[in-house]
Amino acid sequence: MIAEKTNTAQVIIDKISSTSSKVNFIDNDKLSKALLYLENKGIPTNKHEEYKYCNVDGIFKKEFKNIEQKLNSVTDINKYKLNNALTIVVVNGNYSEKLSDKLILKGLHLNAFSNLDNDGKNLIGTLANVESDAFVALNTAFCGDGFHLKIADNEQLQMPIHILYVSSASAESLVNPRNIIELGKNSEATIIEEQINIGDSKVFTNFLSEKFIGENAKLNSYTFQNEGNNGYSVNTNNITLGRYAKYDNTTITLSGTLVRNNHQVVLAAQNCEAHLNGFFSTKSNQLVDNHTLMDHQMPNCESNELYKGIVNDKSTGVFNGKIFVRRDAQKTNAYQSSKNILLSDDATINTKPQLEIYADDVKCSHGTSTGKIDEAAVFYLNARGIGRESAKKLLLNAFAQEVINKIEVEELKEKILNLFENEL
Amino acid sequence: MANEILEEHINSEYKWGFTTDIETDTFAPGLNEQVVTALSKKKNEPDWLLEFRLKAFRHWQTLPEPNNWAHLTYPKINYQDISYYSAPKIKPELKSLDEVDPEILKTFEKLGISLEEQKRLTGVQSNIAVDAVFDSVSVKTTFRETLSEKGIIFCSFSEAVQEFPELIKKYMGTVVPYTDNYFAALNSAVYSDGSFCYIPKGVRCPMELSTYFRINATGTGQFERTLIVADEGSYVSYLEGCTAPQRDENQLHAAIVEIITHKNAEVKYSTVQNWYPGDKNGKGGIFNFVTKRGICLEDNSKISWTQVETGSAITWKYPSVILKGNNSVGEFYSVALTNNMQEADTGTKMIHIGKNTRSTIISKGISAGKSNNSYRGLVQIRKGATNARNFSQCDSLLMGDKCGAHTFPYIEIKDKTAIVEHEATTSKIGEDQLFYCKQRGIDNEKAIGLIVNGYCKEVLNKLPMEFAVEAQKLLAVSLEGSVG
Repeated sequence: MIAEKTNTAQVIIDKISSTSSKVNFIDNDKLSKALLYLENKGIPTNKHEEYKYCNVDGIFKKEFKNIEQKLNSVTDINKYKLNNALTIVVVNGNYSEKLSDKLILKGLHLNAFSNLDNDGKNLIGTLANVESDAFVALNTAFCGDGFHLKIADNEQLQMPIHILYVSSASAESLVNPRNIIELGKNSEATIIEEQINIGDSKVFTNFLSEKFIGENAKLNSYTFQNEGNNGYSVNTNNITLGRYAKYDNTTITLSGTLVRNNHQVVLAAQNCEAHLNGFFSTKSNQLVDNHTLMDHQMPNCESNELYKGIVNDKSTGVFNGKIFVRRDAQKTNAYQSSKNILLSDDATINTKPQLEIYADDVKCSHGTSTGKIDEAAVFYLNARGIGRESAKKLLLNAFAQEVINKIEVEELKEKILNLFENEL
Repeated sequence: MANEILEEHINSEYKWGFTTDIETDTFAPGLNEQVVTALSKKKNEPDWLLEFRLKAFRHWQTLPEPNNWAHLTYPKINYQDISYYSAPKIKPELKSLDEVDPEILKTFEKLGISLEEQKRLTGVQSNIAVDAVFDSVSVKTTFRETLSEKGIIFCSFSEAVQEFPELIKKYMGTVVPYTDNYFAALNSAVYSDGSFCYIPKGVRCPMELSTYFRINATGTGQFERTLIVADEGSYVSYLEGCTAPQRDENQLHAAIVEIITHKNAEVKYSTVQNWYPGDKNGKGGIFNFVTKRGICLEDNSKISWTQVETGSAITWKYPSVILKGNNSVGEFYSVALTNNMQEADTGTKMIHIGKNTRSTIISKGISAGKSNNSYRGLVQIRKGATNARNFSQCDSLLMGDKCGAHTFPYIEIKDKTAIVEHEATTSKIGEDQLFYCKQRGIDNEKAIGLIVNGYCKEVLNKLPMEFAVEAQKLLAVSLEGSVG
């Protein structure tokens, strides 16, 4: 069994070691720890409690038998740009200065990892522990030339930043984009992260982001995942919040054969708050797995989660959320809600909402419900002259909009709503 | 303020911690094929049963120790240090209570299940038939004759093996196979006794049936099996209670309970689990690793589990229902209370296979002292389980800031017509609630009892009357002074 596990990881290491160039921004200690972890623990199978409903090892064995790392260069991404945002482009894991907009906003600093000074380099891997997860280890061992984005203290960015992760390959490939986003105290920013696959081959994206949100800073973050059938991804987001800081994230997943989101928020100082929202719609044999952890370490913090999903055909939707309230985190308010609709007989929903609580003066609750389209509501609309199919579309749309409407960037919201409605 | 008042009272002692001085026939510690064979010989078992035990034992040997997926921490158990058989030295055939060792009778009287009194009260309507299991063997089953008039079989497992081998052979291990898990394999190899109950077609059992488990001897483990079969259209309400002496050592209890319901049958199984929980510093106490599972084999049948868990140092227990028959119903009502250093990881599994199956889960966890209390449950709707319905509610109450309360529900749905809901909350006893009671002349301790009982009402209401009273008292005692 162990040998089996090591096998997948070893195959990956062998296949990509030869093509990836040695990087100078990950220190040797972390690098060797990462490789050791991978060799010992391997890529998780469904025997791993955290990957019970997401057998990545199995998917690797089946879908990525021949990793060839034939990555394409990308020259034009204009049609994916938003009109009213600054675009940062990452191609196959590497920051592309050429394709990115000139960063002319005041208080905004960007450095490719390869240009970082020592302080910057030391930040890499401070939130994502190499020995906590196979994909953190994999990314640490083979990450591309990502970037460090910093918003200076007291700056409020007037324009959203649109980070476009483009992957393109002509044979099975694995890419490891990585970034660090730092918000100085009292700053505010809106960041959109979008993943697309524009090549004609399968790409496994192992994304990792570390976000530091300083005192009284506010980050509005949107994640839009629409990689199509060739898209396979594990996305790790590690966030830490300072005093009075606020983090809002809305993650929309409309396609991708495998999408696993590991979203970990550490409420590391008093009076901070975090909100995670998610919506996914799956078809054919897709698997979308939202895995969240709200780590309440300090008193008087608040967290909220709302995840909704519609699953169709033979697809699977997973929600695994944990609210972790530590001994000192008194007066915590934490809520979690997961709602799902099954549209087909072969679709599956697995949910695992968890509470792990060590402080007594807290208000924590979670709720989850799974069901079909409300027939009474369909009838209500039928009675008003709306046909069955239209009624269903209307209801599903309303179900999705509870989450999609949380997006405050109009252009993005419209784009997502249109895409979703066309799919229905 | 409330914290201090509550902490003052944590010192309540375990009231069932005495030992009984009787002669016992005990195996030397150790576990190997010879022990398993000797055990089987001792019980004069047929070959097929010995074969079953040996198969289970061989399988157990291949299993790795359970890795710690449960939210529990306990020292490694040395299975060679345990004696696998301990029985009071009694005559093999007992016709009346007079022949039972008076010391044992006294023990059961102290526990509040006076067999003597039961006997005297024969004929009174609200009777309970008791099968008392002392260490490894069943010492006495009351009301056997009365029950047999209705065709109900209620006897110790060993007797059933001798007298009704065909029934045992047909049903034993069908719900919990010996391959199920580590402790189930161990139990299947070395179980010493237990209860067997068969309710024939169309019979409504006129009285509550009860098993009382008592660990007395030192250095032993208790491994019993309960098998309940409810034939077509029958009904039975079954109670289980347990206590153990106060000792510094940890004793292992690994039981199996299997329930099978046929068409239109219903079994209601209630447990008040009060094994010795260990002292304030976590010394001693029972390790309770129990596999309980029922199967609604045929249409319109129902299995209902109700449990009040206040004892044991470690509780690992997931009474489950496999809803195979169409329109079958599964229920799980649980109150789990942990205090001091106790740890509980308990919950249920509801496996929906048949059409129009329904399940309800109500779990109330209370943690006090430095304890950890987890709900772990699975609701699985298999493909083809059309119109399955589940509702789960898991509430936790924390008393003090040194304990932990956790909820780990697993929900797996593969049918689009299913409707599954789960909700969980965590709360504490508020100062305002205590103040309200105080204003009305109710002292803190009583107020806490009142609030906790109110919090558990939904579950306690499901217990048979006699048990409900006992459970309420038990909650109050177990909680003395622990609220924060």
